[in-house]
Amino acid sequence: MKGNDRRPDPARPGDSAVLADAEAGREDGEARLALDQAFDSGTLYALRAAVQAHAIQAGLPESRTDDLVIAVHELAANAVRHGAGAGRLRMWERDGALHCQVDDSGSPASGGDAGPGGNEADCWPFLPGHGLWLVRLVADQISVFSGPGGTRATVVFSSGEEPSVSAPD
Amino acid sequence: MVSIEGGAAVPVSAYTQVTELSPDAHACLTFGAPDDLLDLTAAFVRDGLAGGFRVVVLSDSPQLAAAKLGWREVAAEAAVAAGQMVMVASQDGLVGPQGFSAGQAIGWLRDQLADSRRQGYAGIRVALDMSWALRPMTGIEELPVLEEEIAAAVSGAGMSVLCGYDRERFDPVTLALIAPFHSHAVAAATYYDDPVLRICRQYVPPGIRLAGEMDFLAAEALALALGEAIRIDGDITVNMASLSFIDASSIRMITDAAASLDPSRTVILRCPPAIEARFAQLGADRLPQVSLVGVDEG
Repeated sequence: MKGNDRRPDPARPGDSAVLADAEAGREDGEARLALDQAFDSGTLYALRAAVQAHAIQAGLPESRTDDLVIAVHELAANAVRHGAGAGRLRMWERDGALHCQVDDSGSPASGGDAGPGGNEADCWPFLPGHGLWLVRLVADQISVFSGPGGTRATVVFSSGEEPSVSAPD
Repeated sequence: MVSIEGGAAVPVSAYTQVTELSPDAHACLTFGAPDDLLDLTAAFVRDGLAGGFRVVVLSDSPQLAAAKLGWREVAAEAAVAAGQMVMVASQDGLVGPQGFSAGQAIGWLRDQLADSRRQGYAGIRVALDMSWALRPMTGIEELPVLEEEIAAAVSGAGMSVLCGYDRERFDPVTLALIAPFHSHAVAAATYYDDPVLRICRQYVPPGIRLAGEMDFLAAEALALALGEAIRIDGDITVNMASLSFIDASSIRMITDAAASLDPSRTVILRCPPAIEARFAQLGADRLPQVSLVGVDEG
């Protein structure tokens, strides 16, 4: 379920010490950068394949792996279609959860700026049945920040056997 | 007729629709996926049975072919029981115990024609899965001779023959040698085809088939395929049995197309369990027009 805010999100701009540790290959922050991959419209297929492989390797159950793959795809697709047209995915494991961060260096999608520092996830245009709505449905946590430099969206998937929010049958 | 932007577009205009073959056609069906061979054969068989023709289907595995035709709503087993249709193994038809010879093979085919006339049928349709010719065997160099003989045999005889060649497995030289002896080229109408995704028409049951991974990049091709499919009367099938990924925008496009139909019509969505769950998650199962059918095959 959403809202298991055990710790601050490491992906927040200006608070990226954990990610910096991971990028430097340091283990003491308990975070390990598993994947760092640029993408554009021509490489979404490769991005999905890489995310799937790493999620399986991290021990995510099959149905949650499918959820993670579609969540990352929809965030990346959003960057391709409504943002810069390209972006970068970083994925790391921390405290038994997989974090996937999609950066889009383009200008923020549409107006809805929630002001500096706030999580804009609640202001995104979550139309029922649309990609971002689905991301919010399947991810354990979602955060979105945008600024002049672009948009950073992060989803967190617990790798435990936590039941997912899924179809009623 | 079918034009696509991006990906690998496939011109269909050079091909004859399998449903429009003349009663003495000698058609060359080239296919890239086994499902295509089965689907086009199913349409050829279905129309033959409906037209009161005798139907002969030759393949390496007649039992498997009968079961798969049955799944495609062609009552193969009933037609076989009634004597209107025969399922023949390759080695009992075109290939003899001593290997292949064009003379022996054409003899078998002429016997089929004579049998159908004796039994009072208006004509005969013969579907030949040519994959037997991929096996090393003596006499196989006579394959073009057989095709030339078939061309002569069908002429004015009330016999149509559909020869199925796997274009991935037969070498281009062989295909170039045998193609000119055919009166028609037949292939599945394809809307999109690249290494990641294939969207094509499904003839039996009518609808479309998606294989691989479907996302918004092929939205235009999917819209075209759905648009053509829903213009057919009655129920349509979106066969996703070989689809491993589909994104939210594509799911929405399919459910929007279903929702636009009269509630008396049904859109059958055949999908693997994970994709079935995704459609349900996005509310497709609440539409009166949608029937979600899970399939196990990957």
